[in-house]
Amino acid sequence: MAVASIAQHDEHQGVDRLYAETRDLRLQGFLLFLVSDIVLFSSFIFAYLYLRNSGQGFPPPGIGRLDVAFAAYNSMVLFGSGCTMHYALENWKHGNFNKYAGCLIATIVLGLMFLGGQGYEYHSLIVNDHVTWSGSGIFGASFFTLTGMHGFHVFVGVCYLSILLLQSVHGVYTKQKFFGLTAGTLYWHFVDVIWVVLFSIFYLI
Amino acid sequence: MSENSSKDPVVHLDRNFWIVTAVLAILSIAGIVFWIVAPITKFLPAAVVEADEIDQLFRFLSASSTALFVFVIGYLLYFSIAFRRRSTDAPDAIGIQIHDNHKLEMWWTILPTIFVVVMAIFSVRIWYGIEVNNPGNGLSVESIGHQWNYTFRYPGVRGEITDAMHLPVGVPVTLQVTSTDVIHSFWVPAMRLKADMIPGTLNTIRFTPKYPGTYQIICTEFCGVNHSVMDKQKVVIESRPAFDAWYDGWVAKNKNASDELPKASAGAVALSGGDAAAGQKKFALTCSSCHAVGPFSQKIVGPGLKGVLHDPAHPSLVNGDPATPDNVAKLLQNGYSGSLGQMPNQTSNGLTNKDIANLVAYLDSLK
Amino acid sequence: MQTHEQAELHGGGVADHIHPEPQTFVRKYIFSIDHKIIGLQYIITGFVFFILAGLLAEVIRAQMMHATGGVVDSNTYDEIYSVHGSAMVWLVVIPLLTGGFGNFVFPLQIGARDVAFPWLNMLSFWIFPPAGLMLFASFLMGAPQAGWTEYPPMSLQGQAGTSMWCAAIFLVGVSSTLTGINFLVTILKMRAPGMTFTRMPLFVWAQFATAPLLMIATTALAGALAALFMERQFGVPFFDPTKGGSPVLWQHMFWFYSHPAVYIMILPAFGMISEIFPTFTRKPIFGYKMIAFSSVAIALLGFMVWAHHMFTSGLAPWLQLPFMLLTMVIAIPTGIKIFSWVTTLWGGKIQFTTAMLFAIGFIATFTFGGITGVFLSAVPFDLHAHGTYFIVAHLHYVLVGGSLMGILAGMHYWFPKMSGRMLSEKVGRWTFWLFFIGFNGTFLPMHWQGLMGMPRRVAQYDPQFQGVNQFESYASVVMTIALLLFFYNVLWSLRHGKKAGPNPWGARTLEWQIPSPPHYYNFKHVPTVFAAPYDFAEPLPYTGLEDELTDSPGPQPASSSSS
Repeated sequence: MAVASIAQHDEHQGVDRLYAETRDLRLQGFLLFLVSDIVLFSSFIFAYLYLRNSGQGFPPPGIGRLDVAFAAYNSMVLFGSGCTMHYALENWKHGNFNKYAGCLIATIVLGLMFLGGQGYEYHSLIVNDHVTWSGSGIFGASFFTLTGMHGFHVFVGVCYLSILLLQSVHGVYTKQKFFGLTAGTLYWHFVDVIWVVLFSIFYLI
Repeated sequence: MSENSSKDPVVHLDRNFWIVTAVLAILSIAGIVFWIVAPITKFLPAAVVEADEIDQLFRFLSASSTALFVFVIGYLLYFSIAFRRRSTDAPDAIGIQIHDNHKLEMWWTILPTIFVVVMAIFSVRIWYGIEVNNPGNGLSVESIGHQWNYTFRYPGVRGEITDAMHLPVGVPVTLQVTSTDVIHSFWVPAMRLKADMIPGTLNTIRFTPKYPGTYQIICTEFCGVNHSVMDKQKVVIESRPAFDAWYDGWVAKNKNASDELPKASAGAVALSGGDAAAGQKKFALTCSSCHAVGPFSQKIVGPGLKGVLHDPAHPSLVNGDPATPDNVAKLLQNGYSGSLGQMPNQTSNGLTNKDIANLVAYLDSLK
Repeated sequence: MQTHEQAELHGGGVADHIHPEPQTFVRKYIFSIDHKIIGLQYIITGFVFFILAGLLAEVIRAQMMHATGGVVDSNTYDEIYSVHGSAMVWLVVIPLLTGGFGNFVFPLQIGARDVAFPWLNMLSFWIFPPAGLMLFASFLMGAPQAGWTEYPPMSLQGQAGTSMWCAAIFLVGVSSTLTGINFLVTILKMRAPGMTFTRMPLFVWAQFATAPLLMIATTALAGALAALFMERQFGVPFFDPTKGGSPVLWQHMFWFYSHPAVYIMILPAFGMISEIFPTFTRKPIFGYKMIAFSSVAIALLGFMVWAHHMFTSGLAPWLQLPFMLLTMVIAIPTGIKIFSWVTTLWGGKIQFTTAMLFAIGFIATFTFGGITGVFLSAVPFDLHAHGTYFIVAHLHYVLVGGSLMGILAGMHYWFPKMSGRMLSEKVGRWTFWLFFIGFNGTFLPMHWQGLMGMPRRVAQYDPQFQGVNQFESYASVVMTIALLLFFYNVLWSLRHGKKAGPNPWGARTLEWQIPSPPHYYNFKHVPTVFAAPYDFAEPLPYTGLEDELTDSPGPQPASSSSS
């Protein structure tokens, strides 16, 4: 049953205050969770930079440069999805359900496109350049581990956004109570920020 | 809470407190004196100059800690006894409601800070003399850790020495250590020094032997089932003549007929047209068992070669020639045998002139 | 700041939100979201693992009776101390101090009804027993052998149990991280009205300083463990030097977590001492503000000193220097705490309950351990002492003489609140003295052994150390007897202990103003706080507690849910 509008009404004062405080807790908790996720990525980023600094050239001779152009194009796809996600949330806050849904669907599609692009790059590296996760020294190890972790986070994000879409269609969220959407937006931006770092350290430097 | 501390009762330290303080001061002084005079080397000889310095640091740390500990435990015990609840106290008797004392807290922040600064200066001076400004310019020795023994390499001695590590008194030593398998550690308690032996890297300690004697080498990094018994080998510090005799013995013992290297083909190798990609393949086949494609310090048998033609910190090759493509080619042709080790020549390595050109091109491409 | 009447009028906030009381046995005691039950679950599970890890310790001491070993073979011995260390750190001390005491006590102390995310709290707990079992199950497939630090390349070659170890510790780390997030949000957002930071009990300050460590440091370990697992199982090179990896990289990644971990293991214990001292001296803690801020300082500095575990690994001198200096600096906030505690005793009316005995003993043994830590911060000294029994001595002085004594102090202090019964003080006194004597007998001589040449992680050793090792093994039996007495005391007192009442100690923090054990809703009315709790000359600094100890019915659960 589609809900083509966003519910306006809410219950009485007491529950509102409870909701506001609970939302506050959840927001803090979610942000702290993102902080700990950043630490997880940071430990592998540290490992990559440490190994790169102490050892063989990068990429090691014989492997050739990574395809910066393709990765840049794929990055634009991901950053674009960040924009559409931002507008999705804005539209929800302003009560425009159709525009919200359109932006959210666009985000999901762009996210899937990004994953597809990653898949294409992986395939190219493995089949054409013979760069594998375990067989290409520390380059293969760092690259596939970090981009793989990131890709997994994007995949989880796509699933999460899809669930949000279904939930919003079923009226779980109202114009005043939509923490799930806020969390989803924060998560998606987090995934973008991580990609900025990964793109820089693998493709730009 | 300082919002209450202006209402705190005034503190009176009674006579007993000062008597206890005086007793603690006397005990602290006794402790300090103990650590100053303690005959450490009766228990553990100090074999090298650096050991004496580390023992001095230990005395300082022990003396100051003893004084601190005496006071902390002393007051802990005294206050516990003096301020114990007595059976004559009312059931709801409370203590003297002091919250804080800014002057006291200031002093016990400042004084420890001063102490930490003094300790830091003392430690940094000794650290500097051992880790940074230690010339070690007399004798360069290597020790390699294996599961489960140590071997030693000396300049001019072919191969590895498998018994004890002999060192002459008074000659500054640079000891570089690594491992062929897992992490080991090279510890000589009598030296008060250790360095972990990590495969793929070279760690360095420098020291100057001082007291002749035989000292145990002990592994202090878990290295497998026989880690507990990797403590049978020794460092022997002896007079110069005794050391020379031992050294000459090993030179002679490890000498090998094939040490006479065959002369290389006449004429320099033509370097134009060298193929770096082919050179990379040849390198992986022939050179990589002794050389890593990494920085100089990433030593396997020989140094890492990533920077051999482009590293301003290492402008010379092993034979002293400036690191240019022509000299590298010459080195590959003729090999090297000398105080820094052994490198096979072109024939022993099975290299054609074209191979040499390719290798030089590859090495030149590594920046 | 609201009075409690004002809070009642507005009503409906998180502070007043009450879950319906669980009805079934399973929801009450097994899958409970109540922080008190979860805290007890952590404590029970933690002590079970403590007994297992302690048995391993006794095998170690049995092996050490003879210079040639002989009780178990080298391989088994290596497995035993590796699992002993791993279990004590990750399955005993951290869960007991954070998940156990943290969960049970501090929400009561801030006047909250539960933590911020009760369901997440339950999940955090339930990860813990399976992860712990996984660690012990590694014995079945060849347990890890390279110590609790598992340095590669040794750990790359380790038996299958090493991979189990990676997975088990990773899981228990997830539990830790979630707990850290939970606690941090709870302290930031759910303190009772009027409880500003400077009116918080010091145990809450301790958990507040520990929570970011749990959250941030543990995920760094997760990265290291995942990398080791991937390299072992899938050949992905991070640490193997023959494939371009670096063994020293593991050390950096591991110690970046494991040094903050030791502060995770001591800060809550510090907090406990800061609660026990005022109660049993009947006066305020001396220097409240400095103790609170020094906890935060220690937590922050704790992130910046990890490479002092790596001074012999070939760190460049310019790296050794800052780590040496920063480690020395940590001595200052730690010293401030110790001086403040000792000064709290001055002018007190000291009651030597078992909790107080353990707290006083803690100061003696922890100070000693802290001092040897300062020795080790000096690189030239560490070049001699690293990897020897001096380190084993130091770590046991701070972890057993520190953390464990703190846990035992806390158990004797809060047992009445948790169970409604008193522990036997007579048995407690025997426990303390036997433990203190046994502990010092076991670990004090190790300082000398280490400096004289006994390395760590050895199944046999030079005969010159046999006498001292035998002495230590006998002393460890005394320690074991003390601990058996403690467990006997707990089990007996649960059935036959004197009824405790709400406040057997006459303490002033909020948890002592409600029944023992508390109702599932903690407080009938969330109190309002208007001062720090430690002023024994003043009346209790709370309003709204009049009803807590009467028979009046508890508050009703909120009727609607939020989304």
